[in-house]
Amino acid sequence: MKKDLGKVRNIGISAHIDSGKTTLTERILFYTQRIHAIHEVRGKDGVGATMDSMELEKERGITIQSAATYCSWKDYDINIIDTPGHVDFTIEVERALRVLDGAVLILCSVGGVQSQSITVNRQMTRYKVPRIAFINKCDRTGANPFRVTQQLRDKLDLNAIMIQLPIGLESDLEGMIDLVCMKAVYFDGDQGETIRYEPIPAGLQEEADAKREELLDAVSMFSDELMEAMLEESEIPESLIHDAIRRGTLSLELTPVMIGSAYKNKGVQLLLDAVNAYLPCPTDVENTALDLDQDESEVVVSNDPADPLVALAFKLEDGRYGQLTYIRTYQGVIQKGDTIINSRTGKKAKVGRLVRMHANEMEEIDGAGSGDIVALFGIDCASGDTFCNPGLNWSMSSMHVPAPVISLAIKPVDNKAQINMSKALNRFTKEDPTFKTFVDHETNETIISGMGELHLEVYIERMKREYKAEVEVGAPQVAYRETITQRAEFDYTHKKQTGGSGQYGRVAGFIEPLEEGEYEFVDQIVGGVIPREFISSCDKGFQKSLEKGTLTGSPITGVRLGINDGSYHAVDSSDIAFQLAAIGGFKQGYAKAIPIIMEPIMKVAVEGPSEFQGAVMGSLNQRRGVIIGTFEEGNYTVVEAEMPLAEMFGYSTTLRSLTQGKAEFTMEFATYKQVPKSVAEELIKAFAAQKKDA
Amino acid sequence: MGYEPLVQQNPLRVLNMGTEKNQMGLVMARAGLGKTALLVQIALDAILRGKRVIHVSIGQSIEKTKTWYDDILQLILQDHSVNRPHELIDMVARHRMIMTFKIAAFSRSRLEERLNDLVLQDIFRPNCLIVDGFDFEKTDREALEDIKNLIENMDMQAWFSATCHRGDPRISPTGVPAPCHEIDDLFDMIILLKPEQDATIQLDIIRNCGEQVTGAKGLRLDPTTMMVKEM
Repeated sequence: MKKDLGKVRNIGISAHIDSGKTTLTERILFYTQRIHAIHEVRGKDGVGATMDSMELEKERGITIQSAATYCSWKDYDINIIDTPGHVDFTIEVERALRVLDGAVLILCSVGGVQSQSITVNRQMTRYKVPRIAFINKCDRTGANPFRVTQQLRDKLDLNAIMIQLPIGLESDLEGMIDLVCMKAVYFDGDQGETIRYEPIPAGLQEEADAKREELLDAVSMFSDELMEAMLEESEIPESLIHDAIRRGTLSLELTPVMIGSAYKNKGVQLLLDAVNAYLPCPTDVENTALDLDQDESEVVVSNDPADPLVALAFKLEDGRYGQLTYIRTYQGVIQKGDTIINSRTGKKAKVGRLVRMHANEMEEIDGAGSGDIVALFGIDCASGDTFCNPGLNWSMSSMHVPAPVISLAIKPVDNKAQINMSKALNRFTKEDPTFKTFVDHETNETIISGMGELHLEVYIERMKREYKAEVEVGAPQVAYRETITQRAEFDYTHKKQTGGSGQYGRVAGFIEPLEEGEYEFVDQIVGGVIPREFISSCDKGFQKSLEKGTLTGSPITGVRLGINDGSYHAVDSSDIAFQLAAIGGFKQGYAKAIPIIMEPIMKVAVEGPSEFQGAVMGSLNQRRGVIIGTFEEGNYTVVEAEMPLAEMFGYSTTLRSLTQGKAEFTMEFATYKQVPKSVAEELIKAFAAQKKDA
Repeated sequence: MGYEPLVQQNPLRVLNMGTEKNQMGLVMARAGLGKTALLVQIALDAILRGKRVIHVSIGQSIEKTKTWYDDILQLILQDHSVNRPHELIDMVARHRMIMTFKIAAFSRSRLEERLNDLVLQDIFRPNCLIVDGFDFEKTDREALEDIKNLIENMDMQAWFSATCHRGDPRISPTGVPAPCHEIDDLFDMIILLKPEQDATIQLDIIRNCGEQVTGAKGLRLDPTTMMVKEM
């Protein structure tokens, strides 16, 4: 099972919706002989492209979940991880970016750098992913790869340099000039499968020479040998240029720009060559894990097959044969029959079937080495779990999961939907730790919660399509919280001694704000005024009280509760009596501690043309936002603000009409902050009314 | 406001500078001595007096600029206990707005357009403008006069930073080094920062309220906080 890690590529392909990502992936699979016919997106022939495996994606023509697929090109193994580009799917994006080593950023030659390209690019920069740009759709009217390259420099701040020149553009696109080997390349055959190299057409020679000069200037700083060869004005070997481009790309200081048209079968093979030549192999990238035995301290994974296994489960899929788990190995090997441990749960599992995935078809394998991406059958786990060999307790991702900020009630329309819905919810919560679900005991409604409106919408759609679970959806609710602002004392006696077995318990203590953490219990009882066995009853009583605050019924967080006095009755005191005493004591103290309501605040970034900046700021200001700042570059502006989530419902519609659809916004959870008085009063009133009705 | 004591060690407070309207101030130093830190101090001083500040940062990100404020505010909070620190942090956020520009995107007309956007919609009415990263090497007198004019029209106070270089011997007769040696008369206040042997920063005032200051009136600043070291 020896494999040359230098010939493994784990890459992502990401792009703005509609720049042809799926078409490109489809062509790659065709040329690498993974599929034998080309299907177009949106299923003109009823089959649909191979990568979008979910119904929903087929219908919308977009890609939501990251599927991994394997292919090989010129004896390099390439794993393609499909990456979603929207910020609402944060965990999903994060995981996809973690498992890939390099990426191809696709841009439309007409649309150029669009707002989503900016988001994706920012995420890639954050995760230090080296990338190649591919300017697609050069056959379309209005195509201008030169302008797009300039945008890559201006808007994305990338050191973008073209390594190809188009031969003809728009409908005249014939092929391209490779500026490294200085030849014209044409693609013959029905599906462009035959590559023909020719001398550069005379009319383009001058431009090609000039562009090559630019290319050499840009890349020579990454290679001393190349610099020397240029100074000596000797013949420059191609390998030197390739090497310099590779170094520049890996250091993230250079982005080679390629051009083509996936739809017209032009340039895809050259892109694959570039993936092999310029993008990193698993050992070129440093990945870190967290050692759970050492308080989550960072450790670098070795990529050495001889070390114990560390593998990340980054995607789950429900197949005909049970749960399919996609994993990426970071060190060690995984083989059939091995014992592996899930570092989150500590559970052991045996590796059964191991397969390599190609969208919906699979190939059985016996084992996989470090740096590979494969799928496991029959392993029970959640997405984001890490598997290790026994003896190692590492995790690839932090155990910390952000708390959901928005929730809504869903109600199945009939009995069948009810069963399917619970199946779906079970699946989704496993796949995505930020998606949670529970049943509200008071209203008997099923509540789902997550990180944003779109986040929940996608799951509701998936329920409908994949699980045929038709549900009615309630209005989205913001996840408010309550907390206190000052210390208060309480002294409460619970007494019920009229007939039958009585109840008696007295609890005295304090409640105070807790700076960090959600809840702390302090036992300061001396002299046994509350017997030991009832102390935990007090704790239990307090915890019950925290579930629903008195202002809005939201959970209470950030409190420390202490008990320092009390009394008991030899016969009538019991567990339940002290729980009730604690609940009573809590209510007394809570009211005195000046409780307040907290609301989730989102970090919002609105991106769009500068001319709309004023309107955008006005709209944010109206929604109780605090504008942090603006960033201007050319004619393009980003406004950053902190916004209460409660004010952001329907903002996408407002923004669209304000800016003629030219601006977009992204939103992620930032923190919890106190709700202003006027808003708090309304919330309290609404809660009281609701309580009355119930 | 109740936050007054927090800024008692603020150099401006000590010097009793920067309280007049319609004035332009300039902080000059070599790279890395703390121009931005001092500008942030000036801004915080204004904010804690209830003023609103626009911080224009040329060539820097919003995030980085915001971090400057957060860090310096944290340092202040370490030295002075405040009843509800979150309220203070919130209040600073509400009284400050950051505008960042790519170097080429900054111009008077651009700035004016932005400021008008804010004022006309009543989103933010600035009293003080901080401009960090303005390229004086490439600015002529006319462009700066233009900006001065804008500041007067908008009834604001403004502070700029400028980087001087060790190797550049040019200096104005009043002691203002290049690149501002030919436009120094446009500023009402000019401060020069110099490093000292004992790892503190010497703050010299070259001009205050349009008057030439001579003699060795200066302050020693702590280089991490840019607060006055001893009173």
